Amino acid sequence: MKKRSLLYTLLAASCAIGTALPRQAFAEVSDQDFNEVKNMLQELSEKVKKLEQAHDQDQQLHRQDQQKIQELQQDLGQTKELATNAVQKAEAAAQAPAAQSLAAGPSATHQFQVVGDAETIFGHVSGQHSAFAFADFAPIFLFRANDNILFEAGFDFTLANNAPASAGTAYNFDLSFATLDYVLNDYVTVLAGNMILPLGTYTERGAGWLNKMPDNPLPRGLLPGNGAGVQLRGAIPLGAKGQMLTYSVYGVNGPSSVDGTGNSGSLDLGGNVGILSAATTLPRQYGYGLPGTTFSTVGNLHSDPSGGGRIGWFYPWKPQYDVELGISGQSGQWNDVGGKWSAVVADAAVHVGPSIEVKGEYINTWVDTTDLGNIRPNGWWVQGGYKLSGLGIELPVINNVELMGRYDQSNDGLVPATNAERYSAGFIYYFSNTLLFEGDYEWLHSSGPNSQVFPSNELLFQISYGF
Amino acid sequence: MQIEKNIMNQLSSFNRARRVGTGAAALAAVLYAASLAFVGAAEANAPAAKPNDTKIAQAKAAETKKESAKPKREEKKKLTGAELYAINCNRCHPERYPTEWNPAQWKTLMLHMRVRANLPAVQAKTIVKYLQEEAGN
Repeated sequence: MKKRSLLYTLLAASCAIGTALPRQAFAEVSDQDFNEVKNMLQELSEKVKKLEQAHDQDQQLHRQDQQKIQELQQDLGQTKELATNAVQKAEAAAQAPAAQSLAAGPSATHQFQVVGDAETIFGHVSGQHSAFAFADFAPIFLFRANDNILFEAGFDFTLANNAPASAGTAYNFDLSFATLDYVLNDYVTVLAGNMILPLGTYTERGAGWLNKMPDNPLPRGLLPGNGAGVQLRGAIPLGAKGQMLTYSVYGVNGPSSVDGTGNSGSLDLGGNVGILSAATTLPRQYGYGLPGTTFSTVGNLHSDPSGGGRIGWFYPWKPQYDVELGISGQSGQWNDVGGKWSAVVADAAVHVGPSIEVKGEYINTWVDTTDLGNIRPNGWWVQGGYKLSGLGIELPVINNVELMGRYDQSNDGLVPATNAERYSAGFIYYFSNTLLFEGDYEWLHSSGPNSQVFPSNELLFQISYGF
Repeated sequence: MQIEKNIMNQLSSFNRARRVGTGAAALAAVLYAASLAFVGAAEANAPAAKPNDTKIAQAKAAETKKESAKPKREEKKKLTGAELYAINCNRCHPERYPTEWNPAQWKTLMLHMRVRANLPAVQAKTIVKYLQEEAGN
């Protein structure tokens, strides 16, 4: 009991002391001190605010610096890339200096060029005197306007017998072809003008120094060599060994009648563009001026063009070992009475190494005539060559010789028919890659009512130069 | 009556000419469309060059170099200009030496030969590059 009362007493005393002590402490801080402390606190607060502002500014600057660093890094990357590309371009340029320097474009004199060939023939026809029978100069003028446009024109200056302007002279000046070639894209080239027709391959590849015999195969006379019109041609590569599919499609004026009739003797394979007489008076219904007006003009002797084309397949299994097959044809009206002239040509060529070449063509034509009905002139030829260098004998003369042989025959399709067949054996001596000396002997047998148009046996020599 | 007959004959002739013309135009259009398709296919197959692919290309080239050191099957070999020249040019005429003409002349000549011999564009370009590299002055 005493303990409890003592505890209560102590508790009351401590409360009294506790209550009295704070009053004593507050009493010790004056207002002045309080205000000083307060001011001090305000100053510190302002300093902290300023420091915070400064910190914010520093952070902004830091962010800006980081952004600039990123931009600089990007610039550095692009610079490195440009430098790498420049090095690669420089390396590529160093690897192909010739092609790069040529792309700038040649001068006008380099865009114009003359190529072609020239030949002289010496012949002996059985029953006649020997003579220099023929001289031919055939330049081809080329003008490349740009990478896609080429003008080309071939001429033939020929002289047979005697000197120019003397008695017995026979000379000629022909435009063998003249075209504007426009390379439309990698697969189509457009030709317009007077073009060599792709009926078979002989005419396109038959220049004097390309044909390995001094004269043409007999049945080539059944086909027109040229035509005025438009042609699309091109090639599609096949596989990796150089194979290709080639095509030509054309429309030309086509063969015509020399007098407008459909008689068999009036067929003119050369084409149907002619200049009408200067004194021609056209009928009034055509609307050309007043009755009696005379004028000269150029016109077709019939209204329908001819169409044709060739498809070829070329397969080389290695360089100088190849086969080429082609089929070509043409059809169209040839006279004023609706008669048609049509032709089909199958061609083939084989090379077995650098020494052996065999090629030939089969030609069939159909002609609607007024006097003889439908006639079928036809023929074929095959030609082979063997270069003696293939024997591997180390003799200079032998290695420059190529032995040649040819068989050709033609039939005029008339009833009764005139047939001609010819066997030719010859040689070529290559003085160089462009100067050739050719010679052959030709045994010709003909029969039928028109056999007199064919020559007899012949011995021919020819010097050819390609330039 | 005769005049009507003449007119009919003329019209008949005109119709034939028109048919031929229409046919030729249609054929030309088909050929042109086919050629465009070929060109488009060729361009689509061609790998597009991207500047950002430089590092990848370099890495691939490095890998190819490593692989080429290993023996492997013979791949399809692309014909060189000299091989294409031997294949295409010698079959029609004796070989002309590259030094016979200068590079610009070869460019004109090969355009002529591309048309005359019906050479594919890609082969003609490869041949002319070879001839220009070996050309005379």
